[in-house]
Amino acid sequence: MYNVAEVNAEECVAQKGCRLCIMYCPEANCIQLDTSKMKAVIVESRCKGCELCVVVCDAAKHQAIKMVAR
Amino acid sequence: MGKKIQINKEFVDIMPQDYLDLVETGTYESPNRGWKDFGTATELIAEHSLCAGCPESIAFRHIMASIPNPEDTVMVGSTGCTSLVFPMIAVHNIHSLFGNQNAIATGLKRALALRFPDRVKDVIVLAGDGATVDIGLDMTLQSWFRKERFTTICFDNELYANTGGQESGLMQKGFLAKMAPVGKKFEKVRLPEIARESGCDYVAVMTASKPSLVEKVIKQAVLIAREIGPTYIQIYTPCILEIGKQSMEGLQEMRTSEAPGERFKFREFISPEAQSFLDGLAEKKKAEKLAASEATS
Repeated sequence: MYNVAEVNAEECVAQKGCRLCIMYCPEANCIQLDTSKMKAVIVESRCKGCELCVVVCDAAKHQAIKMVAR
Repeated sequence: MGKKIQINKEFVDIMPQDYLDLVETGTYESPNRGWKDFGTATELIAEHSLCAGCPESIAFRHIMASIPNPEDTVMVGSTGCTSLVFPMIAVHNIHSLFGNQNAIATGLKRALALRFPDRVKDVIVLAGDGATVDIGLDMTLQSWFRKERFTTICFDNELYANTGGQESGLMQKGFLAKMAPVGKKFEKVRLPEIARESGCDYVAVMTASKPSLVEKVIKQAVLIAREIGPTYIQIYTPCILEIGKQSMEGLQEMRTSEAPGERFKFREFISPEAQSFLDGLAEKKKAEKLAASEATS
């Protein structure tokens, strides 16, 4: 079992300019911005499951990211 | 697609997808590259082997996104966790013998100036605190005394993390590490102050918790190193394993350490020549903005 992050598109506020998870993810090219829907998208094969994105998202009270088992 | 970085048409069909992505959506030759490119452009660093949640990799991402002209930059690394990342970055780089990084950068910078007299070539040294302060202190200081024009970045994690947590010169007094169980008896080496006195024209101490600040500092340091003299940046990148933190606690650790009165509170020193150079740059930017707004109205 391996934990990866998952973005709930309904809660994500990237269309308002939020880039917190993209900014603080330690992995390069791991959280991408879907420019058509303006939502954050996780590239699961690059995610190491550190939960930093969950921490910054929750701290900003968006609560759009949670960890899921794969 | 830029002018300097192009794929030979004959080879396009056999190039790996990662390479094509870098050329097509990378940020080479972009005049305003910075952390704002994250998420939409291909970054110049990929799939590194650092631990999950490592603050050093956050700092690495921010630095790679901020260096002003990556296509004409050579980075010099040294032994440590950073040397695990250098094979995965899309900028020319050299791995030096432990501690020799500033000596190698010196020769490299001079050779590049002779070989490409009409092109701007930047050299950036990026090494850990062991290479910069303990093993390579001689080379580090001598390059500053000689006023060599390149940027030295020190990833300060306050111990030898890669080998299990031995005491380093930048470790804080009294700190207990796995391989330093008695606690450090001496003060943390005040390298930023030493750098200032040794002839650096720009010195900054910071953490990697604010991408915009990292971007500003890196750009200033590289531009000053290009025109005026040596520059030094010390960035706190805690080793979460060695200080006993979880993978998601690295960011909070950096934020705690940069609070007012703490040892990594942001401070910078700019020499008078460097300050007048920066003022000139700011004025030029202002004039360009004014001209652009007049052209549109």
